[in-house]
Amino acid sequence: MRVLHLSWEFPPRIIGGIASHVFDLSRALARRGMEVHVVTCNFPGAAEYENIEGVNVHRFEAYSGGDSFYSWALRMQKNMERKACDLINSIKGVDIIHAHDWLSGVAGVGLKHLYRKPLIATIHSTEYGRRTGIHNDLQRSIHEVEGWLCWEAWRIITCSYYMRDHVSWCFRTPNNKLCVVPNGVDVTKFYFNFDYWGVRRNFAHDSQKIVLYVGRLVQEKGLDVLIKALPMVLSRGLPAKMVVVGEGSQKQEFQQLAGGLGLGDRVFFAGHVDDWTLRALYRIADVTVVPSRFEPFGIVALEAMVAHCPLIVAASGGLNEIVDHEGTGLKVPINSPEALAWAIVRVITDKGLRDWMVHNAYQKCLWNYNWDKIAEWTGGIYDAVLYERSTSPWKPA
Amino acid sequence: MNILILTWEYPPKRLGNVSDHVATLAHELVKANHEVEVIVIDDWHSGFEDVYGVHVHRISNPVKTHPMASVLTYAMTAATQMEVEASKVIYFYRQHQKSIDVIHSHEWLTVPPAISLKHAFNIPFIITFHSIEGHRCHDNFGPTSMAIREIEDMGIWESTRVIANTEWLKNEILSYYGGGHSAKIDGVWPIGKRWVDKIVSAYKKAAGSE
Repeated sequence: MRVLHLSWEFPPRIIGGIASHVFDLSRALARRGMEVHVVTCNFPGAAEYENIEGVNVHRFEAYSGGDSFYSWALRMQKNMERKACDLINSIKGVDIIHAHDWLSGVAGVGLKHLYRKPLIATIHSTEYGRRTGIHNDLQRSIHEVEGWLCWEAWRIITCSYYMRDHVSWCFRTPNNKLCVVPNGVDVTKFYFNFDYWGVRRNFAHDSQKIVLYVGRLVQEKGLDVLIKALPMVLSRGLPAKMVVVGEGSQKQEFQQLAGGLGLGDRVFFAGHVDDWTLRALYRIADVTVVPSRFEPFGIVALEAMVAHCPLIVAASGGLNEIVDHEGTGLKVPINSPEALAWAIVRVITDKGLRDWMVHNAYQKCLWNYNWDKIAEWTGGIYDAVLYERSTSPWKPA
Repeated sequence: MNILILTWEYPPKRLGNVSDHVATLAHELVKANHEVEVIVIDDWHSGFEDVYGVHVHRISNPVKTHPMASVLTYAMTAATQMEVEASKVIYFYRQHQKSIDVIHSHEWLTVPPAISLKHAFNIPFIITFHSIEGHRCHDNFGPTSMAIREIEDMGIWESTRVIANTEWLKNEILSYYGGGHSAKIDGVWPIGKRWVDKIVSAYKKAAGSE
């Protein structure tokens, strides 16, 4: 089976989460014996063609400039399409075209009809979800492009049941076109030798319990709820120290909130940290908290689970599906500092519960969120689509 | 010959001169026993129509909202929908053991679909310029205008032949986009009997049958 993935980002070009998703998925598909091609934007220093662990990566000249990101994205996709046409002609056809989000979806729609091959789309996130609604013409335009992609796609893959229902509602997509394949996490990246206390002392005093937050500093991620929970934890006499990893447009508001509650020395805004430090942080933290209000999937939860870090999440979006309450982590209602404080105290003081949840969470990652499993499920979708394609009246001449 | 024409206006949609120019050309070609398929972006009259032998496929843009009424994003989304319709026409021809010999694109708005179709199906395309951005923009060198220039440049680069509506425009194109293209560009005055003969001759040159 020959599969063409379209993605606007692929390592070393990393802008959002799609790059690492396509990187892991395409390699796992190649391990299953598929011939995988990825067409993606060029990047300074990256080769025009390279083979990465069996994945054929083809890079094309993407523009810079244009009058907006949106118009750039559309013109870039015309170049993506042209590159893909030349590629498909030179390898004598593909079986499946797989586009990721609207940033490669328009090219996918064109290629589907030019070659009459089934188009599969992974919807990682929607404009509606990212902006909590559609508020201006730019957002509406992107929303319509996403809807167009969902209309044209043979199958739509979402990463959680929550996102499946969201896409179904957002674009009036019939449920029989939608399927769910979760995101994955690479276990091997999290286990390496490092100086435990050396890293830990960069973030907290030895006697303090580290409460870790990882995510963009924006309203939808709910950091304010976590900050408001912290005084209640401290009032129980627990020496908690919050480490906040990430940047965002509302950083200052969160810093002011923490300062106003007298938590200046209890909340450490670490900004962006490198991948190695982040993984080490998951392993030294006493608890990871994901208080999101909107979350298509919640990759942070997986990273904590695979690193044996106890996990507390707000019951929103994909997090709801990843975490089983008192099984693989604790689940609390969204927007509730009281519940969050209760959960933090419980996790830190109850070693038996902690060990039980951490063990289960790690097993769940190995079982459910491993890329080879995900490639197997994705391959199953490809097989089903190819069968439907072979029996459909939509034939090339 | 079997000709696929891409245009952004065709009667009854009239925003400029291109509409009636293309319609006249299409009807003259049909009179001269060519098969003509016209694909036009027309949000209000979408559908298929056989106009005295000219097969007109009117399509609408699936993306209706465009921030700041941007012509660029409109053109790019419409381009993909034109490819979709053109692909259907090309596969329909194949089913009837026929093929499209040449794609004729008009103005920069139909350059992106023409390029994709050329690369996917290996069909040569020729492009007619009725005017160029350098003349239309009144010394505006903003990002939108520059993008349109780049698309015009790409169209000239990728096309097999270029037709300018006058000798003057031909020389202007050469001075804007490089004299290296002089071998493949014709100035064709779009009036009279010889007009269509010259266009057909350009088609034949592009398709390699002359």
